[in-house]
Amino acid sequence: MQIFLEKRFNTSSWGRILVLGVAFLLVLFISWLFFLIAGIEPMTAFQIVGEEIFLTKYGWQDLLVKMTPLMFTGLAVALAAQMRQWNIGAEGQFHMGTFAMTWIALHLDGKLPYGVLIVLMLIMAMVGGGLWGSIPGFLKARFGVNEIITSLLLNYVAVAWIDHLLFGPWRDPGTNNFPITKEFSEAAQLPSFGNTTIHAGLILAFFVVVIISWFLWKTRLGFQIRLTGDNPDASRYAGVNIRTLTILIFAVSGAIAGLAGFSEVAGIHYRLQQNISIGYGYTGIIVAWLAKNHPLGVVLSAFFMSIVFVSAEVLQIEYGLPISVVFLYQGIILFTILGSDIFTEYRLRITGNWLSQRHSKTGN
Amino acid sequence: MEFFIQILIAAVGMGTPLLFATLGGVISERAGVINLGMEGLMLVGALVAFVVMLNTGNYFYAVASAAIISGMVSMIHGVVCLMLRANQIASGLALTFFGTGLSGFFGDKLTGETVEPLIRIPIPVLNAIPVLGPVLFNQDLLVYFSYVCVVLLWWMLFKTRLGLNIRSMGEAPEVCDSLGLSVLGYRFFAVVGGGMFVGIGGAYFPLALTPFWVDGITAGRGWIAVALVIFAFWNPIKALGGAYLFGIALALELRLQILGVEISPYFLKMLPYVLTILVLTLVTIRHNRLGIQVMPAALGNVFFRGEKH
Repeated sequence: MQIFLEKRFNTSSWGRILVLGVAFLLVLFISWLFFLIAGIEPMTAFQIVGEEIFLTKYGWQDLLVKMTPLMFTGLAVALAAQMRQWNIGAEGQFHMGTFAMTWIALHLDGKLPYGVLIVLMLIMAMVGGGLWGSIPGFLKARFGVNEIITSLLLNYVAVAWIDHLLFGPWRDPGTNNFPITKEFSEAAQLPSFGNTTIHAGLILAFFVVVIISWFLWKTRLGFQIRLTGDNPDASRYAGVNIRTLTILIFAVSGAIAGLAGFSEVAGIHYRLQQNISIGYGYTGIIVAWLAKNHPLGVVLSAFFMSIVFVSAEVLQIEYGLPISVVFLYQGIILFTILGSDIFTEYRLRITGNWLSQRHSKTGN
Repeated sequence: MEFFIQILIAAVGMGTPLLFATLGGVISERAGVINLGMEGLMLVGALVAFVVMLNTGNYFYAVASAAIISGMVSMIHGVVCLMLRANQIASGLALTFFGTGLSGFFGDKLTGETVEPLIRIPIPVLNAIPVLGPVLFNQDLLVYFSYVCVVLLWWMLFKTRLGLNIRSMGEAPEVCDSLGLSVLGYRFFAVVGGGMFVGIGGAYFPLALTPFWVDGITAGRGWIAVALVIFAFWNPIKALGGAYLFGIALALELRLQILGVEISPYFLKMLPYVLTILVLTLVTIRHNRLGIQVMPAALGNVFFRGEKH
């Protein structure tokens, strides 16, 4: 008798759904452990979190608000991953997006009519994020520098730059020395739906999902990107300019991450301040991984990760747990998904009998 | 001159956590496993060391438990990317998330608590050497321990059978497998052993550098260590030089601030990260120009008997 893993020809989609279910149960189980450690009655906590999120208007509203930046950052990471490039720098591109748009808003607020200013801010956010993103892209394309390390380290540089502005030249003197800029006028704010906090950024996010899907599957450039991701050698023989494509993909990826910054600042805070991103850029990596880098999948996985964020927020308010539990959950979710992928790609086979064991060694 | 020596003394201190973490990365990557979870592991090591120090007041217990717990946490990485054959990059990132969350969750109530930092113990005769004496031989015990580790690891990797086997796992796992060596076993051993060193690197923060707890105490140094592994050509001795070079950048950041140099402190904060990117780029260009293959050939490959990659 022999037990071994056999590679499946197609990944099983039922297996994938099962895996997500198992991941969810594992998260619940580990949460249960952590609640016990923190001295919280687990069942009550689950009940409170569930009710706060799904049974209140604010819960649903918050889910959609938190989902918005995650869709952008998830798309940013997924797009680069379509070409097998790791953009771990969405966090920094997010911040450079907020920098560029705030710069234009601080200079031109009050001088331009409504529509013009907000569009300019949107473009600036894309330029800021895009330029920041193209740095690791350029270094990778030109010199072959590991893009994971460079894109990640630039996050720390971008955050320090924002801190410099907020504690220095951009600090609003009228606000008791808090590290915040002055509030934008209405001309620089995205409209909200009714009296909710859900803002036009969500629509923009869906719009970008459609655009990126179209780009990847209906354009020549999109085809080249996917081809390069699947088989760089074939793509090179076919005459694809991989270097240019690498820089381009990082620039576009960065621009999308910059849009996340735009949507948060113009849609919610109406000013630049610290901690606008609570790790949205990093979470984009998990959103993309869960979605298997498919733009439409990003919508679902962004919603899923949004539940994690809002749960953490409820726990923070109700029990005073630190918001960093978000990262803990993210780690557990990613580990579970990664660890269980093997079961969607392989199947367990038990063959033969004891007598033929010696002769069937070739199978594994 | 006095200022210069002061910088170098601080540089060794700032470089020590980087050195431990880089050594951990070297072991793991020599066996063919990328560990991008170093930042998370350092945070776990820092948290454990701080908590144990707070409760027992014993440095040895603090360092040992940091090493053991970090080793245990890196077992998750080992299981997921070796036994369950997941992508090593993604698994490493998950480890960073996990460690960041863990230290944030349990460290939340510790903010503001302080411990007694390690004291400097001069080594009698060596301490009298000009410049080198005060810089290298008037440090704390963990720094001396790091010297020992560098030499021992270099000897282990390049002069012993065990080291040869570990290095072979990173170059040609199929060959090792056909020779009857357990690829998964050696790789798992290297991941966990490496993780322990990374944890000790994290422990150095609360025990010597910042003897109080702040959230995210390692401030991205784990990622600098990831780059240092490449910079050090996967060699423990070169890791020493690399770590101290970055130690100088970090020490300058502190000293210039104290001297009141007219630079925004946030620009000084960027310095080590920008320097890492620059150095990594230069090293990569040099690798390309020389056409040398120092990187372990099978780094990042999933090994599965009977399947080609």
